Amino acid sequence: MDIGFSPEETHFREECRDWLHANVPAETRPLDAADAIGFDKAWQRQLFDAGWAGINWPTDYGGRGLSIVQQVIWLEEYAKAHAPWIGANFVGINHGGPTLIINASEEQKAYHLPRILTGEAIWCQGFSEPGAGSDLAGIKTRGRIEGDELVVNGSKIWTSFAHVADWQELVLRTEDGSRRHSGLSWVICDMHAPGITVRPIRKMSGQIEFAQVFYDDVRIPLANVVGGLGNGWKVAMSTLSFERGTGFIADQVKQGQEIDDLIATARANGMIGDDRIAHELAQMRAEVAALRAMTYRNISEVVRTGQPGAEASLIRLFTAELGQRLDRMAVALAGPEMLDFAYGDDNAVGDYLRGFAGTIAGGSAQIQRDIIGERLLGLPRSR
Amino acid sequence: MNLTPDDDQRAFVTATADWCRDTMPLEDARDRPADLWNQLEAMGLPGITAPEANGGLALDHATEVLVFAELGRHLAPVALPASAVAARWTGTRGKTALAVAASDGLRLLDGDAAQHGLGIFDGRIGHFALPAGLVPGHSLDPSATLVRLSAMPLTETVDDPRAALHLQLLAAAFSVGCADAARDMAVDYAKVREQFERPIGSFQAIKHMCADMAVRAAVARSQLYYAACALDAEDADTTFHVAAAKRLADQAALDNGRANIQIHGGIGMTDEAFPHFCLKRAHLLQFVASVDAAALLAA
Repeated sequence: MDIGFSPEETHFREECRDWLHANVPAETRPLDAADAIGFDKAWQRQLFDAGWAGINWPTDYGGRGLSIVQQVIWLEEYAKAHAPWIGANFVGINHGGPTLIINASEEQKAYHLPRILTGEAIWCQGFSEPGAGSDLAGIKTRGRIEGDELVVNGSKIWTSFAHVADWQELVLRTEDGSRRHSGLSWVICDMHAPGITVRPIRKMSGQIEFAQVFYDDVRIPLANVVGGLGNGWKVAMSTLSFERGTGFIADQVKQGQEIDDLIATARANGMIGDDRIAHELAQMRAEVAALRAMTYRNISEVVRTGQPGAEASLIRLFTAELGQRLDRMAVALAGPEMLDFAYGDDNAVGDYLRGFAGTIAGGSAQIQRDIIGERLLGLPRSR
Repeated sequence: MNLTPDDDQRAFVTATADWCRDTMPLEDARDRPADLWNQLEAMGLPGITAPEANGGLALDHATEVLVFAELGRHLAPVALPASAVAARWTGTRGKTALAVAASDGLRLLDGDAAQHGLGIFDGRIGHFALPAGLVPGHSLDPSATLVRLSAMPLTETVDDPRAALHLQLLAAAFSVGCADAARDMAVDYAKVREQFERPIGSFQAIKHMCADMAVRAAVARSQLYYAACALDAEDADTTFHVAAAKRLADQAALDNGRANIQIHGGIGMTDEAFPHFCLKRAHLLQFVASVDAAALLAA
């Protein structure tokens, strides 16, 4: 075991650092999706043109075909350089694209993957429904087969960037009378198709980023089904391991910067003299370090065995809860100044309010604990 | 960058685990074979990083922590970390008792048949010859005997700061193993203990406690690996990484130790069941090379 990097990897890191230093945009990324879309597309295009999009994606689809360790190095340098969040490109780059790489036909991959990498096409995710949040297998949105089309009716919710997206990864029920995990399909849905209505939803932090989507006899070609009709659950699950591989590296580096900023703030305002605050800051600094070690361990397992270790599911829960404790510490150190918050402010209070998503989105902390208990520890199922 | 054990390391860990299960199972923590120390030495376990000239295996700290975590999981003798540090840094051989400084003098742990004692004093490793005629008594940890020394013995100091980091690292490895043991004991019990006609592990209240135990153990183990590699590589941040490993390992061992007792319910509070072994060991280890907040907050 070692924590060093090879000369090639170190050279690659320097390349990343140099390019980011010269190219990270000076202006701040807008918070509302509608305001940010132009920014996000331009930045993604710039990344692609310079060869930084899809570092470990196959070269056939516009990627660089480099190693996962190089992907990690890029993400670390990206966060260190305070480069902007990829925003509206998040679903395409981290979820839709990887799912297509694993499951899609050559035709589907050839059309969609380059468009995702260049930022030309924005993707959103249609998984959760008003009646199916944690219980994802309970989805009711239906696709009736008519000729070579699916006719879709129903509704999806908490869909980030739905009102600015071009495509959606839509999981829906395509088999009449099917229940739970069976009879579902993973479909590429054109967000500009007739019959789609998007109702943006404002978050408690004031920003408008996610939405509810309504489908009223929306027609989707059967050719847009990915991985075969009725295989939707398997296709959806195949992406999770992909996401767990490197999805949290930027978060982890950011948390490292955050804890050092918090310690500096607590020293400056004297609150570090409070033993409880000093203790909590010390604990979190150790935990942020451990998060990097956990991520490296997980990446090492991917390199060794081709897939993330079983402990990948632990990282997700740990990083989400650690992130929220950092957010809470930041507002505690701010004191009554947190009352000055107004919608549109991009500060610690906004981070704190938005940060509640960490233990809700993509599987609540409670569902994560069920998964760890049942799949990792082998405890009997609760439901 | 690679934080996963190689084949040789895996084989060493597996062999250690098999041997521990046969020779010193956790359940026998207060009743270990009389010649156990000789067997540990025959396996080379106190000398994994010691130079070959001093009878050691001259391997790296990464390998050592992997093996020590496994030893810690079986609540192996606490003289092992002290003896490993002695063998690596002082040139002495044989069993070395673990010394913990208290306001009213020293506590010597697991000093039966030992010639030397070793601990951290003012941030440096100090070692000393044990006075003759010590009469070991009981400590909180049923696997470790205790002697109180009211006067500080004449101590030789190891100036190299890596020696103290070594003891901190190995104590952290023992704590990681201890946290693992508590987690596994709780999970095994939750699978078989039935209430309301179901295994209690099917209830989320219990399952989620087990999940938290798994998170704490994995977090501590990951940082332990990183810290060991940092010490091997003489990384500039080694002091911080070893301290972080110790803090997280202690926390995991204590929290998992308590949760294990709660999951066992009434039987968990008894002397005849084994959960208290893990908790008591965790309390012992928390006083070995303990970490204060300032050490983690320093730049």
